[in-house]
Amino acid sequence: MLIRSRIACTVLTIGVAVGVVGSAPSFAQDKVVRIWHTETEPQTIKAFNDIARRFEAKSPGVKIEAEGLAWGDLEGKIMAALAAGAPPELSHGQPITCTALQAKGLLNPLDDVVKAIGEANIWDQVKQVCNVDGKQYGLVHAAGTSLLIYRKDMADKLGLKPPKTWADLLGNAKALTQDTNNDGKVDVYGITIPGDNLFVNIMLGELIKANGGVLFDKANKPQLTDKKMIEVLEFWRELVKYAPPGWEGHGYLQTFQNLYGQKAAMMFQGYGRGAGMIEKFAPKEMANDRTFDVWVKPHGPSGNAPAAQVDEEPWMLFKAARNQREAVEFLKFFYQDDNYLEYIRSVPIHFFPITKSLRQSAAYKQTEMIQRWKGWLDAQEQYLDKDQGKPTLVVDWADMTEKPYLMEVLGSGILRDMVMDVVVEQMEPQKAAEKAQKRLEDLMRSKGYFKG
Amino acid sequence: MLPPADAKGLDGKETTLAIARPDRSRRTPRLSERVTGALLVLPALVLLLTLTLYPVVYGAWISTFNKHSFFPEQTFVGMSNYAYVLTDAEFWVSVRLGAIYALSSIVLQIVLGVAAALVVNERFPGRNLVRSILIFPYVIPTVLAVILWKWLLNSQFGLVNYLLEDAGIIDRPISWMGKDWIMVSLILVSVWQFFPFVVLGVLARLQSIPGELYEAAAIDGANAAQRFVHITLPQLQAVLFIVILLRSIWMFTKFDTPWLMILGGGAETYIRTLPVYTYQRTFAYYEAGIGATMAVLMFLMLAVIATVYFRLFRREEAL
Repeated sequence: MLIRSRIACTVLTIGVAVGVVGSAPSFAQDKVVRIWHTETEPQTIKAFNDIARRFEAKSPGVKIEAEGLAWGDLEGKIMAALAAGAPPELSHGQPITCTALQAKGLLNPLDDVVKAIGEANIWDQVKQVCNVDGKQYGLVHAAGTSLLIYRKDMADKLGLKPPKTWADLLGNAKALTQDTNNDGKVDVYGITIPGDNLFVNIMLGELIKANGGVLFDKANKPQLTDKKMIEVLEFWRELVKYAPPGWEGHGYLQTFQNLYGQKAAMMFQGYGRGAGMIEKFAPKEMANDRTFDVWVKPHGPSGNAPAAQVDEEPWMLFKAARNQREAVEFLKFFYQDDNYLEYIRSVPIHFFPITKSLRQSAAYKQTEMIQRWKGWLDAQEQYLDKDQGKPTLVVDWADMTEKPYLMEVLGSGILRDMVMDVVVEQMEPQKAAEKAQKRLEDLMRSKGYFKG
Repeated sequence: MLPPADAKGLDGKETTLAIARPDRSRRTPRLSERVTGALLVLPALVLLLTLTLYPVVYGAWISTFNKHSFFPEQTFVGMSNYAYVLTDAEFWVSVRLGAIYALSSIVLQIVLGVAAALVVNERFPGRNLVRSILIFPYVIPTVLAVILWKWLLNSQFGLVNYLLEDAGIIDRPISWMGKDWIMVSLILVSVWQFFPFVVLGVLARLQSIPGELYEAAAIDGANAAQRFVHITLPQLQAVLFIVILLRSIWMFTKFDTPWLMILGGGAETYIRTLPVYTYQRTFAYYEAGIGATMAVLMFLMLAVIATVYFRLFRREEAL
């Protein structure tokens, strides 16, 4: 009996001890801030993680778990996480995703972060993104506009001038399409453009802006059969005559390959990130802005000003996330000049800082790569300062709040199908536009956005 | 099997087995045996119902709603999703593309798989190594296989175009991911990746065909082709029946390979098969109701095809 009691006592003691030890970490458990972002280049991931580690060091009990996700996956993952009730604290997203989620009441504003940075210290363009009723529901991590990149050496040799209109651009594309080794075959094409859904949508949004048109009217009726859209489709049909065969199967990265691999002389949907790729992959003697320069994008026959897309994913703070206060503190830390500079410098020609203080700082201006590709940054600055750059499918800033369905329009692929019907299937623009108009109206009607 | 309780031994006396007969008065009631049996089966049954039946029934139920894929917004719409999908031109295009993809890749997998199995069934030096290499495409992850092939098929810088041009077969690069060739590329990648499955099945059967059959046929003067047609093929009938059935189901519902082919570039419109379109309606349009409707229709199509296939080709004695 005594032995039994002793055994029972021992087992109980061990059990309690194990229980206490096992549960000990839970008393001191870290508050985890989960962060999803779309910057997957190794140097950016390293910079971000370094900033996170420094934040953890100054904030005991807080742990930052950052994950770089592919663009194409992000929206689906955010939605699934929201549906499961376990979103990350912070995530990047398309500006139109931000407004869509805000409209469903899923986000909290980041006004505290704005206050910490100083509202006057942030450019106006950036403050327009996901700003609803004066509250900043999305705060851009960095901005970069699309660029028309061209082979300056080839253009100078041919005496080409910067294109002001689409007709000029077609002329330049034709001139730059060349058989350089005289074997009777074209080996350098005039222009490279992407054929995947996201970039076709980006380009369509840009072109319709540059042609003075819109995608939807005030009553949310799609405007695909409008004359300005038909002109866009006609231009696209002409432009692909100077693109490498099979361009419809080229993604964003392959268009860059075509450019630095000397298979194409212009790139319509280029970005500052490309400067890094050129330095890495183009022949050394060509890897500079004397060979690869940028032109301001031309406008269409019904437009009068250039238009560019701005790649500016905002940070979003999810209402259903657990550690929101810590997430806000992290963002304040992230935007401090020294930390933010480290992040910006990881892709300096693509990441335009959102703070004026950093943009004007000597440390930023003295960044080596910025000095090497200054023309590329100047072009982006021009688009931003003249308000010629807008996020994907946003034609007017009011679209950000009045059209919360743009994310679904982008995902549906209807606009891409319309473009492909014209430029690949050789369907008449009017007919292709009518087909897409009907599909889009059906989609809008089924979601309750359009009553017509 | 136990002899009857009243069995007698060879000497005519009652055997001791009779003693082993259970005592009815002390035996556990029959009902509790049944309950115990049911309890033992229950975990498997629950697992089956939860993982298999519930999603199917839930999918069918969702197909009667206009429902957002992630948010709880939903409205009952009865059969109108079916009416919409059946009149959606894009749906029928995706069915056609899916059928082209499935049929072409299955035929090529079977032809190539049977041919390869016949070769590696023969004795030759390094046979085991060749067999291992043959299985290789089937064991590597799909994402790796597709990335590898997209790289090889790159229109401007890919190895395949380089070799074809170098050999004088083509005079300008083929756009493997463009409109005209992307379906061919998809079929090529799929055949490469999945024909080893056919090899495995067929080779296993080939190894069990009695050698006497071939010897007798050779004595009767049958040549190699006649031996293949009259002995090998009939012997392979049963395994091919199963292999074709499985590969048809898997290829018609294949999602990952076509999806990865179009991810980040690739003329999507031309390989948007039914599973891809179903995924897009669900996760890009956020229309769970429409997506579920398409999934149900895909299931029904497969059920009809499988029934017809069974009726036409099933031979009990062969299975």
